[in-house]
Amino acid sequence: MGLLTMKRFTKKLLTLSSAICLATAVNAVQADTLKIGLAGPATGPVAQYGDMQKIGVMAAIDDINSAGGINGMQLEGVIYDDACDPKQAVAVANKIVNDGVMHVVGHLCSSSTEPASDIYDEEGVLMITAASTSPSITEKGYQMIFRTIGLDSLQGTLAAEYILGDVKPKTVAIIHDKQQYGEGLATTVKGALEKNGVEAVMFEGVTAGDKDFSALIAKLKRNNVDFVYYGGYHPELGLILRQSREKGFDAQFMGPEGVVNSDLAKIAGAASEGVLATAPKSFDQNPVNEARVAAIKAKGEDPTGPFVFTAYAAIELMKNAIEKTGDTDPEAMAKYIRANPLETAIGTVAYDEKGDLTASTFQVYTLHQDGSKTPVK
Amino acid sequence: MTETSLYVIQQLINGLTIGSTYALIAIGYTMVYGIIGMINFAHGEIYMIGSYITFIVIAGLLGMGFVSLPIILIIALIIAVITASTYGWTIERVAYRPLRGSNRLIPLISAIGMSIFLQNYVVLSQSSRDVALPPQITGGWTFGDPSVFEVSFSYMQLLIWVATVVVMVLLTLFISRSRMGRACRACSEDLGMTNLLGIETNRIIALTFIVGAALAAIAGLLLGLYYGVVNPFIGFIAGLKAFTAAVLGGIGSIPGAMLGGLILGVTEAMTSAFFPSEYKDVVSFGLLVLILLFRPSGILGKPEVEKV
Repeated sequence: MGLLTMKRFTKKLLTLSSAICLATAVNAVQADTLKIGLAGPATGPVAQYGDMQKIGVMAAIDDINSAGGINGMQLEGVIYDDACDPKQAVAVANKIVNDGVMHVVGHLCSSSTEPASDIYDEEGVLMITAASTSPSITEKGYQMIFRTIGLDSLQGTLAAEYILGDVKPKTVAIIHDKQQYGEGLATTVKGALEKNGVEAVMFEGVTAGDKDFSALIAKLKRNNVDFVYYGGYHPELGLILRQSREKGFDAQFMGPEGVVNSDLAKIAGAASEGVLATAPKSFDQNPVNEARVAAIKAKGEDPTGPFVFTAYAAIELMKNAIEKTGDTDPEAMAKYIRANPLETAIGTVAYDEKGDLTASTFQVYTLHQDGSKTPVK
Repeated sequence: MTETSLYVIQQLINGLTIGSTYALIAIGYTMVYGIIGMINFAHGEIYMIGSYITFIVIAGLLGMGFVSLPIILIIALIIAVITASTYGWTIERVAYRPLRGSNRLIPLISAIGMSIFLQNYVVLSQSSRDVALPPQITGGWTFGDPSVFEVSFSYMQLLIWVATVVVMVLLTLFISRSRMGRACRACSEDLGMTNLLGIETNRIIALTFIVGAALAAIAGLLLGLYYGVVNPFIGFIAGLKAFTAAVLGGIGSIPGAMLGGLILGVTEAMTSAFFPSEYKDVVSFGLLVLILLFRPSGILGKPEVEKV
């Protein structure tokens, strides 16, 4: 009896000690893991852009980990959902800081990135956004904030150049969604057109989330508009296109990369055929990325989204900076990234003083009703 | 006709179309308010659910190889109305009835909670992305000289008008002629007294929620077909607009909700027509403030009488 109890006790002790060993082992592994915060919309109306960022970051992390990590250290992506909501973005940024995560890829929507970057810069967290294009983000002299995507203004300038040089419309209208991203772009396009003597007959905002644009379309029709630039995202443009088609209004539409999404074709159907858009170059077509595209496809994910490889490049920048500085200290990394150009999945990444790319990464595309796009320039 | 008058006609058509659907949703707010003096903030969500059910049924029937559009629409309508009514009834049973008789604010908070719950429930079960349906009812009439301005009036817009008028007439007959309708009117006069007279007021209140939800489902079907897009967040804006329409017309008054919806729709269209579209909501809600300043109980509302 006594022996049996003793035996049981030993057994328990053994189990317990092995459990402790296991726990220590897990801890040891954790110490060699660098957490990368992945901030962006995982829910909400623009969640698919968050998916693109996730696909790119996870592909880069997988590549690095399977090649032995950075100096033996494994990377781990942790997803934080800001739902593209500025208020939630601030909460997410605080949570990232509290969780001790010092390296962030994100946020996605400019209106989320802007309030969040304040927090990161103050707390010394390195942030690289793969999608936010609003100029004001890098205008505050931040030291810790970078992006792997060109500025809104560059996108707007490219759009205006294309409108003036190739489309040459008779009557232009500019519509935007009154949000930072859309209105910012619309203003840039308007300014660039005016500089070249082309006045937009209409410059108006619609409310994001609205479903009825019949009054706006009737007005466009009345003004004999033959070209509409829309600054905003795909849900509203999709409805405008669909309702335009129903009302027999057939102008040429153009939008920024916020409308480049296969959902545009789902909403607008045939009306989305031939819409022009500026978007980051298709890095998935770049021969450098062939193996990466294959690896993403093998996981059953889509490598064609505009933010997939900008997100991939963000991780490449971080990896290189850690290797070169020999440490994961975000401030040293930021200094290094700013000073040293790097060859990445999206070409050579070099930064100016503000943390903006020196080279443009945009291109004009024609969108098709099957959700695909072809470059025109 | 001159270019301007054609343009005004076009904007009037647009405004009446959107106004009709505001009116359909507004009825649900006004009926509930008329009887229990509570704003059912979850009503917009019922409209959204009605739209989703329509999409699911239509996509399902098309997938199963049904081709006759009228039959598809009727099946979708029946299923959407039944499902939405079930939701309406359940919401009342779960979230409002247990709170009846308590402070007025408490069911209001419960309603807001219900609205958030339903929205997120749909986000989780259907994802938060826009779901689109190809146009089902296409075509329409155009008139006016194309070189001046061509007015378009689509079959879909006509369907919305006709459906709204039919539903409104049926509802008015139901309220003014049927026994149940009379009981509804009695409840809105004096709930306690009606109860004392042997009418099961709980049943009448449940009925109000069911009728309101059914109308919201019809609006969900019509607008779902008209715009061809639905997401879990459409209920909020639609609910806000319909609530405004109900207040504008006089909350508690059914003809008031109809009138309020049409006024709001036409005001929005006309503002977008002659001012930058940004001012659409500024003007509509400015109008609401003005009307409430001069007629605090809305256009057709009865002044509040303190019940003893």
